Amino acid sequence: MSISELLAEYGDMYVQALLGTWWMSLVSFAFAMLLALVITVFRVSPIKPLRVVGDLYVQIFRNIPGVSLLIILVYALPYLKIVMDYRLCVIVTVTLVASAFGSENFMSGINTIGVGQIEAARSLGMGFGKMLRLVVIPQALRSAVLPMTNLAVAVLLTTALGSQVPLSPPELTGLVSYINTRTVGGILPFVISALMYAGTAFVIGVIGNAIDKKVRIVR
Amino acid sequence: MTQTQTGEALAAEGTPVIELRHVDKHFGSLHVLKDINLKVGKGEVVVVIGPSGSGKSTLCRTINRLETIDSGEVLIEGKPLPQEGKELASTRAEIGMVFQSFNLFAHRSIIDNVTMGPVEVLGVSRDKAREEGMELLRRVGVAEQAEKMPAQLSGGQQQRVAIARSLAMHPKAMLFDEPTSALDPEMINEVLDVMVELARGGMTMVVVTHEMGFARRVSDRVVFMADGAIIEEGKPDEFFEHPTTERAREFLDSIKGH
Ligand SMILES: Nc1ncnc2c1ncn2[C@@H]1O[C@H](COP(=O)(O)OP(=O)(O)OP(=O)(O)O)[C@@H](O)[C@H]1O
Ligand SMILES: [Mg+2]
Repeated sequence: MSISELLAEYGDMYVQALLGTWWMSLVSFAFAMLLALVITVFRVSPIKPLRVVGDLYVQIFRNIPGVSLLIILVYALPYLKIVMDYRLCVIVTVTLVASAFGSENFMSGINTIGVGQIEAARSLGMGFGKMLRLVVIPQALRSAVLPMTNLAVAVLLTTALGSQVPLSPPELTGLVSYINTRTVGGILPFVISALMYAGTAFVIGVIGNAIDKKVRIVR
Repeated sequence: MTQTQTGEALAAEGTPVIELRHVDKHFGSLHVLKDINLKVGKGEVVVVIGPSGSGKSTLCRTINRLETIDSGEVLIEGKPLPQEGKELASTRAEIGMVFQSFNLFAHRSIIDNVTMGPVEVLGVSRDKAREEGMELLRRVGVAEQAEKMPAQLSGGQQQRVAIARSLAMHPKAMLFDEPTSALDPEMINEVLDVMVELARGGMTMVVVTHEMGFARRVSDRVVFMADGAIIEEGKPDEFFEHPTTERAREFLDSIKGH
C-alpha cells in the first residue's frame, strides 16, 4: 500500500487519532499537575498521616506498570460497581502514574530551595500555608519546568495505553493496529503515527524550554 | 559610654525585651545549651562570642523558636514564647532575624523581598509597603537595586537587603547570626555600618559575631559562650581587656592571632 493510498483511506482517522491523543494527553497532564501539587503539599506537610498518605501514593503509582493499572480499572472496578468509559480509564491511568512522577519532580524542586529561605519565611511570621504559597511552591514550580516537560512527553507516549482497550475513534497507536488488521499496511502506518508523536513531543519540548527560560531563577 | 548606661539602666528597670531562663537543649546526646540565663533590655545591644560549636547559633535561634528547647523558658516582653501555631508566627513577626547566608527569596525582586512580610503577614497595603520598603532600601544603601533579583547583588548588598527585610516588620528586637562571616572582607564594613546605625538608633539587638571592633563600638554587653554555657559576661572594654576566665582568655588570644 502506498502512502497516498493509505492517506486517502485512513487520513481522516489519522486526524481524529491525533486529536484524540492530544486531548487525552492534555487532560491527563493537566489533572496530573494538579494532583501532583496536592500530593506534594501532603508530603511536606507538618501532619504525619498526610505525609504517609502522600508517600504511599507516590510509591504505589510510580511503581506499577501503567498497563496493570489500566487492566484493574477496566476489569476489576466494575465488580465494585464502578464502570468508567474506556477513554476515561486511559485518562485516569495516565493521570495517576504521571502525578506520582510529577510529585517527585516537585519534591526535587523543593529540595533545591534550601532550609535558609524557609527559616527566613518563618522568621517573618509566615505560617506553613503562607510559606508554601509564597516561597516554596513558586520556586518548586519554576525549577520543575524542564522535568515536567519531559513528563509531558512521557504522558503523550503513555496515552498509547489506549491501544489496549477498544476506543472509537482509536488513538495513534490503536489506529496502527486497526489499519494492520484490515490491510497489509506494513511499517508505513506505524511510521506515520511515530512521526505524529515525535512532532508533538518536539513542540512540547520547544514550549517547555521557552517557559523555563522565562521563569528560571538565577541563583 | 552613654549608650551603655542607657541600655543597662533600661534593662535594670523595665521588663526585658528578651529573657531566657534556665534554658536547656540537647541535640541527641549532645548538650548544646546548658542552663542559659540571659536578659536583653530595650535598646540594649548584646554581642555573643565564643568558639565554633559552642552553641551561639542555637542560642540565637531559640529566641524565635527556630529551635525548640528541652526545658526552661523564653520570654518576649515578659510573655512566654508561644509553642506553636498563629501566636508563635505573630511573635516571630515581631523579632527580626538576619542569617549568615542572607536567605533572600531567590524568585522575588529585592523590593518584593522587603515588602512581602508587611503585605502578606501584617496586611499592609502594597503601595504603603512599597513606599516604606524603598525608604528602607535607601537607608541601607541599595535603593538603586530595588528591581533586581537577589542573585544579581553582591553578598554585602544582599545582607543589607536582608536587614531591610527584617526592619520592614518593625521588629521589637533583631537577632543577627554571624551576619558578616560569609562576606568578602571588603564588604564587611558596609554591613557593620548599617548595624551600627541601627544600634545607635535604639534597636534591641542580639548579635553573634567575632567582629571585636563592632562589639567595642556599639555593644552594651559581651556574652562569652563555651561548650553550651555562658561562661562570662561583661562590658565590651572590660571583657576584651581583662577577661576573667581562662577559657575567654584563650579564645581571645586565638582570634587576635589573625
Ligand atoms: N540541627 C542539629 N543537629 C545536631 N547537632 C547540631 C545541630 N545544629 C547544631 N548542632 C551541634 O550543636 C553544637 C552547637 O552548634 P551551634 O551551631 O549553635 O554552634 P555555634 O557556636 O554557632 O558554632 P559556629 O561558630 O561554628 O557557628 C555544635 O556541636 C553543632 O555541631
Ligand atoms: Mg553558628
